[in-house]
Amino acid sequence: MSKIETVDLNVYYRNGSVHGLKNVHMKIDANKITALIGPSGCGKTTFLRALNRMNELKGARTTGKVLIDGRNIYDPKEDVIQLRKKVGMVFQQPNPFPMSIYDNIAYGPRIHGQKNRHMDSVVEESLKKAALWDEVADRLDENALGFSGGQQQRLCIARALAVNPEIILLDEPCSALDPISTARIEELLQELKREYTIVIVTHNMQQAARVSDYTAFFYMGELLECGKTSRIFERPDDKRTEDYITGRYG
Amino acid sequence: MRIETEEKLVTAGLSATALISVIVLFIVVLYILLNGIGAINPEFLLEAPYRFEYGGIFPQIIGSLCLIGVCMLFAIPLGLASAIYLAEYAPDNRITSSVRFFVECLAGVPSIVIGLFGLAFLVYYLGIGVSMLSGGLALGFMILPWTVRASEEAIKTVPQAYREASLALGVTKWKTIRHVVLKSAYPGIITGVLLGMGKAIGETAVVLLTAGSGLESFLPRSLRDPVASLPVYVYMLATQGHTPDALSRAFGASLVLIAIFLAISVVALLLRNRYVKKMGRGR
Amino acid sequence: MGAQEQIPRSRFMTLNESALEWLIEKVLFACALSSILIVLFIIIFILKEGFPALALGTEFFFGMTWWPSRGLFGIVPTVVSTFIVGIGALGIAALVGIPTAIYLAEFAPEWMRNIIKPSVEMLVGIPSIVLGLFGLMVLVVAIRDNIGGYGECILAGWLILAVMTLPHVISISEDSIRAVPKTYKEASLGLGATPLQTIRKVILPYAKSGILASLMLGMGNAIGETMAVLMVIGNPNIPGIPTSVLDSVRVLTSTIVIEHAYVDWGSMHQHALFALGIVLFFVVATLNVITTAIIRKSMRKTT
Repeated sequence: MSKIETVDLNVYYRNGSVHGLKNVHMKIDANKITALIGPSGCGKTTFLRALNRMNELKGARTTGKVLIDGRNIYDPKEDVIQLRKKVGMVFQQPNPFPMSIYDNIAYGPRIHGQKNRHMDSVVEESLKKAALWDEVADRLDENALGFSGGQQQRLCIARALAVNPEIILLDEPCSALDPISTARIEELLQELKREYTIVIVTHNMQQAARVSDYTAFFYMGELLECGKTSRIFERPDDKRTEDYITGRYG
Repeated sequence: MRIETEEKLVTAGLSATALISVIVLFIVVLYILLNGIGAINPEFLLEAPYRFEYGGIFPQIIGSLCLIGVCMLFAIPLGLASAIYLAEYAPDNRITSSVRFFVECLAGVPSIVIGLFGLAFLVYYLGIGVSMLSGGLALGFMILPWTVRASEEAIKTVPQAYREASLALGVTKWKTIRHVVLKSAYPGIITGVLLGMGKAIGETAVVLLTAGSGLESFLPRSLRDPVASLPVYVYMLATQGHTPDALSRAFGASLVLIAIFLAISVVALLLRNRYVKKMGRGR
Repeated sequence: MGAQEQIPRSRFMTLNESALEWLIEKVLFACALSSILIVLFIIIFILKEGFPALALGTEFFFGMTWWPSRGLFGIVPTVVSTFIVGIGALGIAALVGIPTAIYLAEFAPEWMRNIIKPSVEMLVGIPSIVLGLFGLMVLVVAIRDNIGGYGECILAGWLILAVMTLPHVISISEDSIRAVPKTYKEASLGLGATPLQTIRKVILPYAKSGILASLMLGMGNAIGETMAVLMVIGNPNIPGIPTSVLDSVRVLTSTIVIEHAYVDWGSMHQHALFALGIVLFFVVATLNVITTAIIRKSMRKTT
């Protein structure tokens, strides 16, 4: 069974006037990195946000099913809070809270009931997994906003890891970062996939090719193609995929 | 006349006019200071009035502080709760716009009318009588719109990104508000509270009608008893004082009033700065 | 994964959580409704207490004599005085405030702004009773000694109220002037107009509605102001229609404060005081509505 599977997924915006995602059927495997690519506005971010029900914050209407470990997360009986603990998200612009690094990471676990006496090790583990520990170990009390973009983004990753998810969603996590920070995060993702399932939206095709195991190409709200990254980039089935990859449009 | 000269003259005229405000402020503050400072001494500050025009103003000071205390106990929770609802939960419908409209209405009610309302509703209808409770609540009605407005603005300034980050971690809406949004909005909320306190402490008409006639010379007894207050005492001294001393005491009391207001401002400013610094520290 | 496994994941707790969330939203909603409730109660109670006097009809609204001990409750002199005091104060505030606003927005160097703006704001912080005291001690005496009469008169009321309305007029007018898009200013200056001409012909017309709104608001403040004006205008026992600025008068607000201590609860006198409150509320509310209308009309013009 795939870790994530969408069946007939449709998302409507603005009271139904915009059909953001059309009949998407897709399977995402566990412990792999799946990249979502496509031109701007093609629905890849909408798809990503459908996986942790964040579209609902913008008043979107979703039909169809999204199965995670076989359970439909859109079933009214399902708890969206638990879902979001299981499926973490990192945003395009790093958005650490205006608190210390320590408090940023501890935030999620504290709210979910984690006792304070074990918090130190939780924070340390998360920062180590996000490859940030060495840089900030002696500055945990400093306000997160004082760090560089790349560090902030890794902090956001650590924060997401602290609540013990199984899946991590990343929405163009490097688009606001410099090449060196980008490279570090890409390295990090390779490490993380051993424990987590990773879905990453990127508008940077080279990044998709470098980083992912599977790639899905979205176009105008539809999933045109999905498969092993090597195949998609070398022998795409759909001409539109090929055009996008070779840069005929972006 | 050449245009340049005309321009220069008019500009000079404008700047002179602008300075009038500064001059007026200067004159007023100086005058109060000079006339009031003579009355300030430890007995004045720490004793009770004696035969109305002698003695000190200690009960009035404590009374005023108690009144703002009651006022804030009412207006801060209610105002903050309303602001949270308006900023975070309220859908875009008629009820929400009515709420906003009525908040603005309340802000526009003249203070004497609030005093009359306090008299009719709190003092007589509810039977609380002329008391600290009536006065404090009436003051609370008066400043509620300011706490709502300032809190709502402060909450709205918190970036949406923080809310999204918190929700994506599986934190519920209310917990997000409590732990992220409110913490960030705190300085702005404090400003609003401060504004309210400043208005409340100098308010005479409302207090005169609902909390005490100004003849009280005792420390605040209970919520249901009349209470002395600074502004009302100043009013009484100014209009009914007979001794030459009375006016100087009125100025003294005015000074104390202004001093309390300044003290509130400073305390809140310090609180704000300390809080902003704390946000950078952990555990 | 170690310590992280200790985060509890009980289903039961999350069920309670969503019930709590729902409850919190409802409680917050109820709090938000409080403002509506308070205003409604104010209107109801003021109307209830003032109605018997309003019911006196023309005797109340057009009566020329206010003599409670004889059962006469005519409000004409009081209302007329209120308007005279209010409009005069507004005039002075406008005369001083608008040029100040123009100066602050267009000409003042940074250091000057840093002195003037806080001073203006501090004026607002002075409690009205203190300003009233100042007015009584300084203005009234000055008028009595240098011009004539008792000193407690309309002129004193004008000056004190002007001082109180000044900060509002200045700050709102200044905001309106600053809100004029830079492009208009630049276009005018680029065509060779002087700064003053630009102000007169381009900026002021554009900022007109904002300035007007500040004046309406100021008038509302002046009419609703109680303590400061009370201390300086004289409040004669039987108010009459003033014939000179040196006359002592009564206004709506001062009447209520002075007489409230003497009324028996339930007497017509008491109802009459509340009726004065109704009239006051009505006038101020109308001014606020006009202000909002002006602002709305100007928004429509520019969008």
